[in-house]
Amino acid sequence: MGRIRILNDQVANQIAAGEVVDRPASVVKELLENSLDAGANRIRIEVEGGGRKLIRITDDGCGMNKDDALLAFERHATSKLRTADDLLNIATLGFRGEALPSIASVARVTLETAEPGSKAGTRIEIAGGKILHVDEIAAPAGTTIAVSDLFFNTPARRKFLRAESTELAHLTALVTHYALAHPEKHFELLSASHTLLSAPPVKKNDERIFQILGRDTHSQLLPVAAEMQLARAGLPEPPPWKRDPDVPAPVPGQLRLNGFFSKPELQKLNRNSIYIFVNKRLIRDRALLHAISEAYRNVIPPTSFPVVTLYLEMPPEEVDVNVHPAKTEVRFRQQQAVHDFVRDSLRTALVKARPAADFLSALDSAPTASPSLLPPAASHLPGLPESEPVRPDGAERFEGASQGTGNAARLPFSGPQHAVWNPSGLDSVPEFLVRASALFTQPLQPAAIQDSGQPSQDCSDDPFAAPPFSAGVQSPAPNLNALASLKPLGQLRESFILAVNEDGLWIIDQHVAHERVLFEKILRDRKVEQVERQRLLMPLLVELKPAQMVLFAQIADELEENGFEVEPFGPQTLAVKAAPVGLEGKQLERMLTQVIEQAGEDEARFGQREDMGTLRGRIAASIACHAAIKVNMPLDLKRMEWLLAELATTEHPTNCPHGRPIALNYSWKDIQKAFQRI
Amino acid sequence: MEITVSRQELLKELTATQGVVERKTTIPILSNFLLEAEGERLSLTATDLDQAIRTSAPVKVKKAGACTIPARRMYDYVKLLPEGEISIKLLDNHWVQIKSGRSTTKIVGMARANYPQVPEFPSVDAIKISAAALKTLIARTIFAISNEETRYTLNGALLVIKAESLAMVATDGHRLSFVEKVNEEIAGVSGEKRVLVPRKALDELRQLLAATAEATIDFADDEHTLYFRVGHRALSSRKLNGNFPNYEAVMPRDNTKFVIVSAAELGQAIQRVAQFADERSGAVRMKIEQNELKISSSSTEAGESEDTIDTPYTGDALTVGFNSGYMLDFLKALNNEGEVRLEFKDQQSAGQMRPEDPDAEYRYRYVLMPMRI
Repeated sequence: MGRIRILNDQVANQIAAGEVVDRPASVVKELLENSLDAGANRIRIEVEGGGRKLIRITDDGCGMNKDDALLAFERHATSKLRTADDLLNIATLGFRGEALPSIASVARVTLETAEPGSKAGTRIEIAGGKILHVDEIAAPAGTTIAVSDLFFNTPARRKFLRAESTELAHLTALVTHYALAHPEKHFELLSASHTLLSAPPVKKNDERIFQILGRDTHSQLLPVAAEMQLARAGLPEPPPWKRDPDVPAPVPGQLRLNGFFSKPELQKLNRNSIYIFVNKRLIRDRALLHAISEAYRNVIPPTSFPVVTLYLEMPPEEVDVNVHPAKTEVRFRQQQAVHDFVRDSLRTALVKARPAADFLSALDSAPTASPSLLPPAASHLPGLPESEPVRPDGAERFEGASQGTGNAARLPFSGPQHAVWNPSGLDSVPEFLVRASALFTQPLQPAAIQDSGQPSQDCSDDPFAAPPFSAGVQSPAPNLNALASLKPLGQLRESFILAVNEDGLWIIDQHVAHERVLFEKILRDRKVEQVERQRLLMPLLVELKPAQMVLFAQIADELEENGFEVEPFGPQTLAVKAAPVGLEGKQLERMLTQVIEQAGEDEARFGQREDMGTLRGRIAASIACHAAIKVNMPLDLKRMEWLLAELATTEHPTNCPHGRPIALNYSWKDIQKAFQRI
Repeated sequence: MEITVSRQELLKELTATQGVVERKTTIPILSNFLLEAEGERLSLTATDLDQAIRTSAPVKVKKAGACTIPARRMYDYVKLLPEGEISIKLLDNHWVQIKSGRSTTKIVGMARANYPQVPEFPSVDAIKISAAALKTLIARTIFAISNEETRYTLNGALLVIKAESLAMVATDGHRLSFVEKVNEEIAGVSGEKRVLVPRKALDELRQLLAATAEATIDFADDEHTLYFRVGHRALSSRKLNGNFPNYEAVMPRDNTKFVIVSAAELGQAIQRVAQFADERSGAVRMKIEQNELKISSSSTEAGESEDTIDTPYTGDALTVGFNSGYMLDFLKALNNEGEVRLEFKDQQSAGQMRPEDPDAEYRYRYVLMPMRI
């Protein structure tokens, strides 16, 4: 008897804290969201000891009166929600009413708050869930919460905390991204005496990115913006006969997307650099990550990931955040629509931009703790026209300048030889770890000039100060649309085509260029089912393992559509009777085994069969790769001209279907600079 | 070694042999000629280790001996010398002096001892083959040899020697060219002898045959090597070992639909139409219908084109796609002369082209696989 008991509040809160608060960064997240929900415009976060010793967050939001302040520490007490219906329509970041009591149960918390216009503020001290003091104090409007000695009463939790620098890096990344999502608010993050982040309000996301991530990262990013009318919104409507005639049909909202994506040459080894905000809430969503990978498919290698920051806006009833206490998971009511929308918007933007890889950035593009990754001093860019996003061109032009400041004669070729595509390299460190650690040694300076109407010229001795930055005077960045105007000069080791135009010198990898041309042609032909196939005089026999024969059976139909006539010929042999034009002998055999092997790998890795689109792309890529001209193959000028002209007409002349870059541009400006002409 | 030779004689032999010498060889000695003087003759050897040509010229030998001279340099130099006697003398350190009239040159040679051993024509069992027949056989098959190096048995042509016929076959997997000279008495052959001759050997042989007036040549082979003797010149070549595909099996038997057209007319029509074919494949459609052969092509980039040739035909209509380049190769081998017969079965099966000439000495069949376009 009496074996089942109701837990006391203290225990319940500690259990809840287990889900909500697992590290200092999650405390900051909860408090930051509270501040944002309170309508604060200026948020200042101070941390000590990586947040274990102290987290103090000060805002100028709406504050609370004494009763509210006391109630706030009760479980399931919230101002953000009243009825269950509100759950369907959550416009605030928080809603569960769990955060404060959870935090208060595992730390010593001091809350100071005052409503604007009230006579006195309130101060509450709590330790381990017990209220120690409640006082009236003099306080400015807004709320200050200080959380010290996190996990002082839960040693198990404390043991799982990582090194101070790791926790600080998480925390910094978090704050940085909330700052990115709210450009109109002022964010400050201080660790002990350092300023880690200082972001005065700006008008546009774009400026915020420049402000926080710095010129170099910014120059690698391209803007994207798109909008879609949703066909319907919210819960499915009841059938007409049950509908209440007085209630107007809900207006379907808009699905809006804006953000930034990296040029294909900037590649990361994990998804840590992909940030997705839905209605300003930072989330992780598999479907959206997949949509981004899909957009970059055949543009960057399948093992690499781009840098993407996306802001999605949709009617609140379209997204359910009540999935997990940490609220990083969401459910979309129309997941497929959102997925396709993100994929298509990104893809379109990628196709349109056709960014040309810059020679210097291609050499240096691996993420290292080089100065180029330091966020430069915050600078405000008010002079830009509202309609036009800051084009990366301008910044790109100055790249050489910033890197060469200390060493004017530095030859561009002597830069670190990081290949762009470097899956085995050391750049697996999450970018923000690198950035955060760099921050310790290089505190940010507050913006020198914030509202003078002029582009800010940092007057500090920061060598990475932003140069005068105005969109008007820049000539457009080398863009691959210029490919058609290229004049080939010759070949480098019979492998790379050297060509020139007004923009400077271009180096084009002949194999991948041809591969891209063929790839798109094959996909085009495939779409209209006009694949030209050549029958073989004698069937080509390809030996396979038994498991591969099974895989072959799965993709046989698609191979057939691509111009193969392949039949099983005995238990472990395939007989190829016809093949797409251009594939012969050994290449044909290799291509076929490769496609079948990869089908197996994918199945083993993801536990599911790839969809037809992916398979189609993969087969086309494989055919293209094996049929394309190889390196070490002499080409005459006419063929080079033909290849460049064909390349210019492709959709993605930037990268081959496997993601390697096709063309590098060594701009006229860089050449002049290297020869100290300017 | 010291000799005197007429420039004309020497140049003739240099021209015949220099083709074998590899331009970009990694073994320096292979870019040299080997000159050996003995009795009243100078023998000249060039090799790239796969093929070798050995020839000789009458000379006045003052002192017997041997030397090597860079082939390209010597050939170019002798070409520029005026008509007359040339004296060649080996100096110290493998230098070779060439004197003609008032021109004197010393060329840096290499040690004779380093020159590889070249296989000698075996003294027994030579088969006599008609030079003219072999010439035709090579000309009509060599273009169908595969350029793809991985399937090495296709990098040569199969020579089939029987007591009463001589045949040659070449294929690249998409088309096959077979030509046979029947009623050819070949002594010393019992049953059938099949050898795979590499493309380069065929090229050299073709040149040797073009430069000779002899009616027959000698042929012999051993385990690794093929030998051809054309007059006083001998070509030896490494044999291609391996199984040539079973060509008899792929020859179409029941291609009952056929048209007969002029080779010249067909060639011109294909050339015109192929301008508008897909750049990579050069695919054209051949359509036979009531008393007409229609040749057409189309590509999304270039446009489309059609040519019609009138020819008697009463069977069912049929459209088959082919690589235009392959068809033009065949017509070119016939010098675009005479009439050709195009034989089809259906869209999927091999088509066949052959010259329409009832009393031809050569049975020539050209099989090509269709394309689906």
